[in-house]
Amino acid sequence: MSKTDIDLIIGGPQGGGIDSAAQVVIRSFTIAGFESYGLREYHSNIKGRHSYFHVRIKEEPVRSLRYPIDMLVCLDGETPFVHMDDVTEGSIIVYDSDFENTKLEQVVTMEPETQKHLREKFQSLKVEPVVKNLMEYQKSRGVKVVPVSFRKLITDTLGQNKPPARYSNTLGASISMAMLGLPADITKSGIASVFGRKKEVVEDNEKIVDAAYKYVDSLGIKVNKLNVREYRERFMVTGNEAVGIGKVLGGLKFQTYYPITPAADESFFLEGHDYFEEAIENQNEQLRKTGVVIVQAEDEISAIAMAISGAMTGARTATATSGPGFSLMAEALGYAGINEIPVVLTLYQRGGPSTGLPTRNSQADLLFALNAGHGDFPRIVISSGDAEEAIFDAVKAFNYAERYQMPVIHIMDKVLANSFYVIDKVDSSKIKIQRWILPTSDTDEYLRFKFTETGISPMGFFGKQIFWLTGDEHNELGHITEDPETRDAMMEKRMKKLEIASKEIPLEDKLLVFGDKGAEIAIVSWGSNKGPILDAMEKLKAEGIKTRFVYLRLFSPFPSKEVAEALKGAKIIIDIENNYSAQAALVIKEYTGINVNKFILKYNGRHVTEDEVYKSIKEVLNGKDKVVMTSGA
Amino acid sequence: MAHNFKTDLWVDWCPGCGDFGILAAIQQALAEYNAKPENYVIVSGIGCSAKTPHYVNVSGIHTLHGRAIPFATGIKLSNPNLTVILDGGDGDLLSIGAGHFVAAGRRNVDFTIILHNNGVYGLTKGQASPTLPRGTKTKGLQRPNIYDSLNPIALALSVGYTFVARAYAFNIRHAKDIILRAIKHKGTAVIDLLQPCPTYNDINTKEWYDQRIYYLDQDKEWDPIVRKPEEEEVERKYLQAINKSLEWGDKIPVGVFYQNEFVPTYEERIKQNFPNYFEDPPATSQISKKDGSAVADMENIFKDKIVRK
Repeated sequence: MSKTDIDLIIGGPQGGGIDSAAQVVIRSFTIAGFESYGLREYHSNIKGRHSYFHVRIKEEPVRSLRYPIDMLVCLDGETPFVHMDDVTEGSIIVYDSDFENTKLEQVVTMEPETQKHLREKFQSLKVEPVVKNLMEYQKSRGVKVVPVSFRKLITDTLGQNKPPARYSNTLGASISMAMLGLPADITKSGIASVFGRKKEVVEDNEKIVDAAYKYVDSLGIKVNKLNVREYRERFMVTGNEAVGIGKVLGGLKFQTYYPITPAADESFFLEGHDYFEEAIENQNEQLRKTGVVIVQAEDEISAIAMAISGAMTGARTATATSGPGFSLMAEALGYAGINEIPVVLTLYQRGGPSTGLPTRNSQADLLFALNAGHGDFPRIVISSGDAEEAIFDAVKAFNYAERYQMPVIHIMDKVLANSFYVIDKVDSSKIKIQRWILPTSDTDEYLRFKFTETGISPMGFFGKQIFWLTGDEHNELGHITEDPETRDAMMEKRMKKLEIASKEIPLEDKLLVFGDKGAEIAIVSWGSNKGPILDAMEKLKAEGIKTRFVYLRLFSPFPSKEVAEALKGAKIIIDIENNYSAQAALVIKEYTGINVNKFILKYNGRHVTEDEVYKSIKEVLNGKDKVVMTSGA
Repeated sequence: MAHNFKTDLWVDWCPGCGDFGILAAIQQALAEYNAKPENYVIVSGIGCSAKTPHYVNVSGIHTLHGRAIPFATGIKLSNPNLTVILDGGDGDLLSIGAGHFVAAGRRNVDFTIILHNNGVYGLTKGQASPTLPRGTKTKGLQRPNIYDSLNPIALALSVGYTFVARAYAFNIRHAKDIILRAIKHKGTAVIDLLQPCPTYNDINTKEWYDQRIYYLDQDKEWDPIVRKPEEEEVERKYLQAINKSLEWGDKIPVGVFYQNEFVPTYEERIKQNFPNYFEDPPATSQISKKDGSAVADMENIFKDKIVRK
């Protein structure tokens, strides 16, 4: 039996239910026992502009997406144009035949630059830029084209009173699942799982599923039935939600935020899960209701200030933001540094600078995360590459913040934030919570910044001890001082904690080495590129090309010795990153002196795919020093 | 033995600074309010007034320019059982921190804001602050001020503060009484605390204030308190306060302008969704079991994320 490996894109207007369609697909395949991973791409717009969902389905865990795709479902007249090159011979396009006569120039939602590029492409292909003609072209190159009149099928099924636009998303999803050979009852379970509480919506959509399957049947296309696998209870979460889950398991009690894409979904999710029941004792004997306070602040400066001061009452506090918001937080970050305050900041990178590409991917905030704020102060910077890592890293972020009494920046990116992951339950017994050192005596005068061998002072709290904090340089009590000797001692005390952190943080939280550890070709990367790189490495291995992958997780304190060790003996070091200046490579150079000599970079804001990494590595091996990846709509 | 609310630091304000009066009033108010000393937190921003926490022997947090309000909010919402008092200058609260000043009115967190109002930025050598009238040339300015001034009382009223008062730094006993009323008020209280800056403001001097200030509570007819949670009563007291706030010049009213305890505090609004918020606040809530593992359970809290068949 051949292995299942399907890439599917469903595209349509923003506000047209692409998100629900995505959920239906992923939930249905999860119920059918398959693994899947999907990503949402969208404009900074509420309604009308093009958005799409790209999902891959396999029997084994899915780590990346891939072009060309196997199936494209077009819910509008724009999708066939935008994604015309995403399909290839053998792919299937399902499109709404009501848009058959749509000309490229009539697609007003498309940006003029995109129209221009496409117009030029049609000219060179000598094809009229009309959906109908485009479909003929696709057929001519071996693509299977399936026209569906969405309006007719929906009104025939639900009558004239239901607005067809409201059902085109589930119709599109259902047709694709029918053509992929998923049993109709499973698609219906997927629908129920998404719209569960809305009975009428579920019933209507179930009728849509039946109509879709009947329609596909009537086409007489040969559909290979998928073998349904064993169902397991699993969680479907986005990266935003994974961080939220990790934070709650890790003891988050106070989260602040100011709305910003793509960070705000995390706080929005937490607002929906902020009061719950917890087991205090081991045997689940004692349950109590408790909550997390989530505050939407008036701006990001306020958000981080609240999180910082809240931490000084003993609560685990955090904030979450993206580029522009993080820029505003820089001053307060230094305040947390000089006052040794445990605060966690989740940074969801998006395309910059300035407003940049607000809904698109980027890894260009690494150097800023490492350097934000004036003056020297210690911070811990960690990065996650998938949902499971994000959950555990969110917990570790709190542990590090409290153990070392410093701000922790947990770096995510847009691809992580807006991807759907299907994961197993994380057992609470696997979550290890490590907190600050407390003062040993209640009677002695409390010194918030007591000099110790490690630089770590016992933690005191408002409401418990009397002490002072100030953004000025201070003495052990926390009062202002400009005394040069005390200044030196305090600076050294604060910075010394990084050395302790460096010693204590385990290797696997600093970096991971995948693949053939002795290979002469080494890849370095971080964040959401992890999956596509691992998949590309397998393809290369199948061709006899051995590679090792040094996957970076801890950026401050930077594990220079460990990175140097992991790169030892490598002849070619290829840096793969989603930014222009190869920021991680610069950090490696700064801390280890090692020159990364090959670069595969992407800064168009779109996700990195398996095929693209594979192809780019091949180009590097054929002598190119730098490849810029450009795929994605 | 009674707690000593003074620290043993040398107070480094200029001789004759209004801050001395405000400091004394705060220390007396804290002693009289009689909470446990550990349960007080004094929050400040940046500037001369921002040094206040260092001189009071309770916990103090001297923060960033303009950000005293968010810092105070984080403390109070993480531990609503603390008594939080905030000192900020007119530049701090009404210029760089103006957005927070507005947001605080809308939140009504239960803390007290003492607005040190001297018309100038003292620590940076006397530039004009938002309360200095246009055309005024204090001695630190090259030319007369070309900004219009704002009215802190009217601003506070218009954005929802539920206790709005004015006091004067050199009537310590009256200022102490107002601070005490502000601490006891349920909700955000703001006190426009007039203070001379003897070094940089040579216009609004002690003598200048002494000739103009009069006390609202000496007028038996003056009732700033909203007595019933009725729209008409609220509007009447609100408009009365706005009208009173426009008095400035030959006569300057000092005292409580407005008080409304019928507006729920932000903490009470949190409690709507989180009934045991005050008993189990973020500051002291248990997060781990004895073995260090989590008390929170993914399946229980995030069950809506399970893909059910």
